[in-house]
Amino acid sequence: MPSMHEELLRLKAAAGEELAAITQLGELEPFRVKYLGRKGEFTLVLRQLGQAPPEDRPRLGQLANEIKQELESAYASRESLLAEAGGGAAQAALDLTLPGRALPFGKLHPVTQVMDSVCSIFEGLGFAVAEGPDVEVDFYNFEALNIPPHHPARAMHDTFYISDSLLLRTHTSPMQARIMEKERPPLRMIAPGKVYRCDSDITHTPMFHQVEGFLVDRHISFADLKGVLSVFITRMFAENTPIRFRPSFFPFTEPSAEVDIGCVICGGKGCRVCKHTGWLEILGAGMIDPEVFKKVGYDPEEYSGFAFGLGIERIAMLKYGITDIRLFYENDLRFLSQF
Amino acid sequence: MKFTLNWLREYIDTDLEPARIADHLTMLGLEVDACVPCYPDLTGVVVARIEAVSPHPNADKLVLCDVNVGQERTRVVCGAPNARAGLVTALALPGAVLPGGFTIKPAKIRGEESCGMLCSAKELGITEDQTGIMELAADLQPGQPISQALGLVDTMIEVDLTPNRPDCASVLGIAREVGGVIGKRIKPPVAAPPTLAGENLPFSVEVESGADCPRYAARLIKNVKIGPSPWWLQQRLLAVGMRPISNIVDITNFVMLEYGQPLHAFDFNKLAGGRIVVRRARSGESLVTLDGTAHQLDSEMLMICDAEKPVAVAGIMGGANSEVDAATTDILLESACFAAIGIRRTGGRLNMSTEASYRFERGVDPQGAPKAMERAVQLTVALGGGEIVAGGVDYCEGVVAPAPITLRGSRTRALLGMDLTLEQIGAALTSIEIDAARIDDDTLRVNPPSFRVDLEREIDLIEEVARIVGYNLLPTTLPMVPMSFSEQDPLRELRKKVAQTLTALGFYEAINYSFVTPQHCDLLGLAAEDLRRQSVHLLNPLAEDQSVLRTTLLPGLLENLRRNVNHQNHDVRLFEIGKVFHPVESSQPHEPFRLAAIISGRRNPGAPVLYTGESPADIFDVKGVVAQIVESLRLSGAITCETCVVGQELPFAEPGSVLAVRGGTQILGWCGAFNQKTLKGFGVKQQAFFLDLDLAALGGVAPQAKNFASLPKFPFAKWDMALIVPVGVAAGEMLSAIHGCGEKCIEKAEIFDVFQGKNIEGGKKSVAISITYRALDRTLDDETVGKIHQKIIEMMIFRFNGQLREA
Repeated sequence: MPSMHEELLRLKAAAGEELAAITQLGELEPFRVKYLGRKGEFTLVLRQLGQAPPEDRPRLGQLANEIKQELESAYASRESLLAEAGGGAAQAALDLTLPGRALPFGKLHPVTQVMDSVCSIFEGLGFAVAEGPDVEVDFYNFEALNIPPHHPARAMHDTFYISDSLLLRTHTSPMQARIMEKERPPLRMIAPGKVYRCDSDITHTPMFHQVEGFLVDRHISFADLKGVLSVFITRMFAENTPIRFRPSFFPFTEPSAEVDIGCVICGGKGCRVCKHTGWLEILGAGMIDPEVFKKVGYDPEEYSGFAFGLGIERIAMLKYGITDIRLFYENDLRFLSQF
Repeated sequence: MKFTLNWLREYIDTDLEPARIADHLTMLGLEVDACVPCYPDLTGVVVARIEAVSPHPNADKLVLCDVNVGQERTRVVCGAPNARAGLVTALALPGAVLPGGFTIKPAKIRGEESCGMLCSAKELGITEDQTGIMELAADLQPGQPISQALGLVDTMIEVDLTPNRPDCASVLGIAREVGGVIGKRIKPPVAAPPTLAGENLPFSVEVESGADCPRYAARLIKNVKIGPSPWWLQQRLLAVGMRPISNIVDITNFVMLEYGQPLHAFDFNKLAGGRIVVRRARSGESLVTLDGTAHQLDSEMLMICDAEKPVAVAGIMGGANSEVDAATTDILLESACFAAIGIRRTGGRLNMSTEASYRFERGVDPQGAPKAMERAVQLTVALGGGEIVAGGVDYCEGVVAPAPITLRGSRTRALLGMDLTLEQIGAALTSIEIDAARIDDDTLRVNPPSFRVDLEREIDLIEEVARIVGYNLLPTTLPMVPMSFSEQDPLRELRKKVAQTLTALGFYEAINYSFVTPQHCDLLGLAAEDLRRQSVHLLNPLAEDQSVLRTTLLPGLLENLRRNVNHQNHDVRLFEIGKVFHPVESSQPHEPFRLAAIISGRRNPGAPVLYTGESPADIFDVKGVVAQIVESLRLSGAITCETCVVGQELPFAEPGSVLAVRGGTQILGWCGAFNQKTLKGFGVKQQAFFLDLDLAALGGVAPQAKNFASLPKFPFAKWDMALIVPVGVAAGEMLSAIHGCGEKCIEKAEIFDVFQGKNIEGGKKSVAISITYRALDRTLDDETVGKIHQKIIEMMIFRFNGQLREA
């Protein structure tokens, strides 16, 4: 009969060998029962510990414990190894290239998206938002803005009329007059909204969107106009967007300016979109004309300010490379889903 | 305003490249729209003289031309009717590429060698003339390149003028601006015109009102020979898109373009009494203008008349009755200044716009008339060979000298935000002929030149300073303004929030035109007295289908749906938030915001069919959307969605498939299914569901406050019941009955199944309801819950005439 010591070592070797040969998770349980279970071989050997000479018992007990712990730990790592491998096989059965179970979602109209970005830039600069009526009184659309009847500037506007005195606003600038009439400076406002002009082709729709803005206080200068609009442009386009200001004419501002940015299509090299100038007109602006101030009862010697206006569709077309403005109003999902 | 570079260089000495000039002009506020070569590249086209012409042996309509091209002779086959010996014309040699892209090659034409092509002016892109090959001056040297011989190297520049700069509606005006940039003065062709006066003139001029006509100069030229203008003059006009007519007419047009002063030539012998009377039209008078249109005149319109009748609409167009024609011998030349406002009014009323009226409407230099007159007289004598009648008339009683303007350096600096000395300011103005004299350390006295009718106020001069200094050289700063909080418009916030909710629910945002066709109301089947039929009409719509302002958003969305379906996109969820317009008597219309949405096709557009299947959307989809909007706005308690009978408001809805959205007693809108008739009317071939809400009214409902409630500490118990009730019983009422029964422990009641059919008696349905019970102060035991549940079952059985469905 082999000594208990030998028996323990033999068990250790046999169990180790058998464990290493196991490749299926299912074979682990019989192994555990055979060696480590309550009636397993190990337990049987340990039960014989009482029959060993008393002086050998501590040594044998310690050895038995060491072997048992070793075996248990080997068993655990084998189990987790097989579980991992087996799990992998189970996962392969799931075809993960199938689409996710996405809930449907829609998008805001590109005009709204651009309008929101424009407004939020100015709101960030402390401008308040005011919206006015689409059907405007001739007075606010024209006369309050220093465009009397028969003024040649009216020819620039192609107005839709409702009656002698009512029209569809041709710009959102009437809000300038409406607000200044009611409130005193300092004022910082933007007026977003729909505007209308009787014109329809690949670059004009009879309805489009504008944001008009103005700032009035003491000591406001043309340099401030340049500063605020430059901030807007670098936020709206890119930090290094080339900007230029050039003289223009609006009846309600003086000096008046058009603001151009380096062509975003060709990078200023000249293309069809920028008419080979390398520049794109993006904003109209100017210092509010003293006549406009006088009409609302401000002293132009005390207050000065600037106003600006921009077309949302134009910016959207430039930003997204849209070539036909009419697409905005067809509401074709193939178009709307692109933005 | 169009001009050419060569033309500009007649008045200002510059060798700047065309692109540089264009750039300068744009940066001066004279935006250049086009800067293009006037003529095509005509390399290989030369002057040639036809020495001899002989018939083509094989073709009746062709001839063989023996052509002299300087050093050598060559033979060319030609089919032009005017090919004749001695004609100096244009020859495109082999290798030349004509403007159409056609390359000339030696060829055999009907068996005869042809070494080039004799060309018409049109073939060379010079003029529109294609009656025959070009007829050039006999003294041109054969062999000389045609571009060189005819001066065909030039650049056309077009400036988009703003209405405030009529002075630049002239080549001289543009030249003056260029001069300001390069530091040079212009050289006008007429320096100082003679003073016009004269006794015993064979004509007379009477001006009724100096306010209408501040200036009127007239001169008589006799025995002119009407004929075509010389090439140089035609070339100028052609280059800017004007058709040469005759020497006299061309001269008036040329001088107008040169000086910005419109001129008119009358056939003097057609003027009754030899008189010019500048007066308002009398009622009943009429005039046929040069364009052949007959006009009824009114007393607001300023006319040029002879002793008897109107002969021209002042400042706009001449009359046919005094037109210069081939038989004209004596002309009366008019160089006048008319009040801008009168020209605008008359032009507007007669619906006429001409080069002359364009300038007068914006303001013509009242001192410019004599100079332009002198220039035109000189040219007429040079080109038409007439005799000038000594003296003339120069009425100028209406001319008001422009008032001097005081310009403050301090004001200029403050408004521009730039440190400029008074000297710099003065120099900027002087560079474009605006005289500025120093008054004191801060003040300049400026006399605006007469050609700058736009300069009236200090601010006008400040703009000039900014323009000349250059906007891009002005500093860029951020304003120092007091901090303030900008108020938020609650309706705008609401619109944003609702839009956000809807996009999250799979809707794309649509934006439709505010103007629509009046037929939409018919297509929706709206009753005659429906308020939505009362719309705001445009007086001048672009088209009938855009002639009224919309009163409902639904038609726009239906049209969008049709468009998408037609493009094979059948699964559509669109919404629009926008204004509708309701007329208000003699005032601005009411413009409330509405929210409308449309659902059609699959329930889950865009989601993988694999999971969601093809199940089509139904009315519960729109009902659910309403519920989610209401929930997102925290209005759940205040707003309900109830079945309603289709009345006159919703003739477009399917009866039995409509819900009213109510806030208290107020109807905020509806949701439901469109009926087939409406869908058919809009060309939609599939079912569609809508919601249409009054957004402002929705915003008027107070949202539920956000008040924290302690989280329940005790578990809930969920008990089910299945009741068999008559099919007519509304499930919603069953839930209301449970909620309304007064039991405090009911946390929630939910329908989890509605079933009709197998094992259920006909005319009945099974409604399964799950009720969640919870007490806040203790755990409910089964016995307690059981008692309550049993009580509710009994209540339900009694109330809905039901019975318990055994499991």
